[in-house]
Amino acid sequence: MGTDTVHLNDVVKFRYLAKLSSVGSIRDEETCERLRGLIQRQVQICKRSVEVMDAVRRGAQLAIDECQFQFRNRRWNCSTLETMPVFGKIVTQGTREAAFVYAISAASVAFAVTRACSSGELEKCGCDHNVHGVSPEGFQWSGCSDNIAYGVAFSQSFVDVRERSKGQSSNRALMNLHNNEAGRKAILSHMRVECKCHGVSGSCEVKTCWKAMPPFRKVGNVIKEKFDGATEVEQRKAGTTKVLMPRNSQFKPHTDEDLVYLEPSPDFCDHDPKMPGMFGTVGRQCNRTSKAIDGCELMCCGRGFQTQEVEVVDRCSCKFHWCCYVKCKQCRKMVEMHTCR
Amino acid sequence: MAGAIIENMSTKKLVIMGVTLLLFQAFAFMVGGLIAPSPTTAVHYLAMKCVDTTKHREETKWFMPWGPNQCDKIQNFEEAMAKKIEANNIVFAVHIPLPNKEMSPWFQFMLVILQFDIAFKMYNQIEDGSLATIDVGLAYRDDTVSEWTEMAHSFEQRKLSCNFTTAKTFENEGRYYECDLLPFMEVGSVAHKYYLLNIRLPVNERKKVNVGIGEIKDIRLVSIHQNGGFTKVWFAMKTFLTPSILIIMIWYWRRILMMSRPPVLLEKVILALGISMTFINIPVEWFSVGFNWTWMLLFGDIRQGIFYSMLLSFWIIFCGEHLMDQTERNRFSVYWKQVGPIVFGSFCLFIFDMCERGVQLTNPFYSIWASDVGTELAMAFIIVAGICACLYFLFLCFMVFQVFRNISGKRTSLPAMSKARRLHYEGLIFRFKFLMLVTLACAAMTVIFFIISQVNEGHWHWGGAHGADEHSSGQCITGDNGGNSGEDIQLTTTITHVDGPTEIYKMTGKEAQE
Repeated sequence: MGTDTVHLNDVVKFRYLAKLSSVGSIRDEETCERLRGLIQRQVQICKRSVEVMDAVRRGAQLAIDECQFQFRNRRWNCSTLETMPVFGKIVTQGTREAAFVYAISAASVAFAVTRACSSGELEKCGCDHNVHGVSPEGFQWSGCSDNIAYGVAFSQSFVDVRERSKGQSSNRALMNLHNNEAGRKAILSHMRVECKCHGVSGSCEVKTCWKAMPPFRKVGNVIKEKFDGATEVEQRKAGTTKVLMPRNSQFKPHTDEDLVYLEPSPDFCDHDPKMPGMFGTVGRQCNRTSKAIDGCELMCCGRGFQTQEVEVVDRCSCKFHWCCYVKCKQCRKMVEMHTCR
Repeated sequence: MAGAIIENMSTKKLVIMGVTLLLFQAFAFMVGGLIAPSPTTAVHYLAMKCVDTTKHREETKWFMPWGPNQCDKIQNFEEAMAKKIEANNIVFAVHIPLPNKEMSPWFQFMLVILQFDIAFKMYNQIEDGSLATIDVGLAYRDDTVSEWTEMAHSFEQRKLSCNFTTAKTFENEGRYYECDLLPFMEVGSVAHKYYLLNIRLPVNERKKVNVGIGEIKDIRLVSIHQNGGFTKVWFAMKTFLTPSILIIMIWYWRRILMMSRPPVLLEKVILALGISMTFINIPVEWFSVGFNWTWMLLFGDIRQGIFYSMLLSFWIIFCGEHLMDQTERNRFSVYWKQVGPIVFGSFCLFIFDMCERGVQLTNPFYSIWASDVGTELAMAFIIVAGICACLYFLFLCFMVFQVFRNISGKRTSLPAMSKARRLHYEGLIFRFKFLMLVTLACAAMTVIFFIISQVNEGHWHWGGAHGADEHSSGQCITGDNGGNSGEDIQLTTTITHVDGPTEIYKMTGKEAQE
């Protein structure tokens, strides 16, 4: 797992950006050319809006961290490679896992760009003319639209361009576009509405409300739920356009917020040298008492597990400050650790 | 009651007048809705984490989050941990507004709300009732190159009321607490172009300052200001309306003085209502564009307070004077029981307002809600005012009930009366019913507009109709003025009354905006 390198765009190749720490920050247009994993159109966008690229990179890192958190107890634990694609072959197929990765990536870019807007790193944002719903009169007359509109619009143009350039017809492109949009919807439909009353003496006769972005953990949870309930689809023709419909016609059609996938996932049990990113579950830790996927039974695919007594040095009776200061004692204790054979 | 016009106006004229008023109102609503933007805008800010590298703290040093001369930044506190930066050296910097924008005096006021993003950690949880101590400075400048000038500096305490909605287990580490919005700052005029906030959360373990406030990840601010466009439309309406009301008021009072008898109480009250309405409408806010008058917000509150207490008193007296029970009232002192609660209630609110917005004149970060004692005091004032309002409402209901009872009593005995007496009572009854109908219509419209604006929030700027509304009431009066040159003291009564509720749903319109 290489968090010490920078990625931009891999599976959706830009995720590779999170692995490019050697580049430092992306400041000038030349860096855009050197970024691996970007297609030509993305390089153009990169050059046009260089200042956004740092945010995109943070977004890519966020996506990887969140993916690894959400999948920490599963056989496929979102481990990354040093090479491209960062998540290995898994996500280049039309599996559920790929659906998740696409959704979380699109969401994370929208999220990170919106945050960068609020912190003043970017100049256009809510007042940008590309954003739908911006008043022509500008900030002083009626204010700008929410930054999230810009974040989502940027994610749409930057992340989706990869699929769009392939042409709409391929069913993989359709699936990826759908999942990208579903990821962004996970943010948009979970915006919190917050209000402040500021009338006479602070009464509610005048009230201003705004929408606040959910924490990214919440977005990750939502997309993970959608992953669990993802729909298997196939391409059908509806008139002249091609659409994705549930493979099983008994199921009700998926909504814009649901994830879709084209082919069933492998069992992720064994290491496959031909499939980069397929590490298998040998050596993974498991939970002996659990009956779920993190339980040793399922995690080890029936191969059994070995138990070790290990001494763990833990921190205890700590003193914390709100930032950057922790003073702890070291406590040693023995724990049983189970690992898959 | 010499010269009451509404009783002896023909139904046709009355209908025409009603329709004209309605049309004007609708027109004004459209204009307000199409021209004016929504009343306020909320802008999000995420504080940039700057590192104060100086050994000894200089009070004059300001940290810019972006642009030229920006501070040394860190992205997150893991980075700070690695670099061994202490909490006391971290400065949260927020520049208002965002890059390439300028604030403007047309924004009228600016209030800022603070929110902490606090991550849950098993071993570093938020302790119950913990206080965040905030060392905050506010500075301004009017061009992008000059030095920052300090405007205010203060140590503030805010109570963290956060709860964690999921189970407190290791699994859920890293999720955020859900924290209440904290009032942070309020300034009554936006005279400068650029503002800079530097926030520190100093830690002092010995004095238990900022200990047990959890693991803070980010500080987010939301600033709210009135939209410049809205202010302009609103001022235009006010400026247009004030002279018309003033003229009508003078004309009305001249008519009254021309009569042989001295003016009765009701007429005096109408005049007082007119004066308070003119007072609230006079566009003194124009000065706020040129001068840095921070007390404008407080002054606006006081004007509104006066108007509302006048309006409430008017309703009581209007009902009282229509009781038709042969008692001679016509004196203000008769109504002390009903007017007393109004006066007392508004006095309570005045004191409360002085404690909040009055103190904010000197310290924009002050909030009465920040301390426990202050909260209790504020609640006490508000509850007392609420009780007064209830009392008032009961009195009013009782009076309306009495009037209706007397009306039905008089109805039965009407045919037996002499013609002059009968006409007098019929007039009273008609006028009263008309007024009640108008009031009902106003209330209904308030509710309807409220619902509409709730349904299609944002799409159609009903809030903008607020200015338009005043416009329409102005039109009401002027329309009436042109249409009926007779002595219509009573009509003005009703019209002035119509104005009250319009004022009120101007407010609801504003409120219902979002």
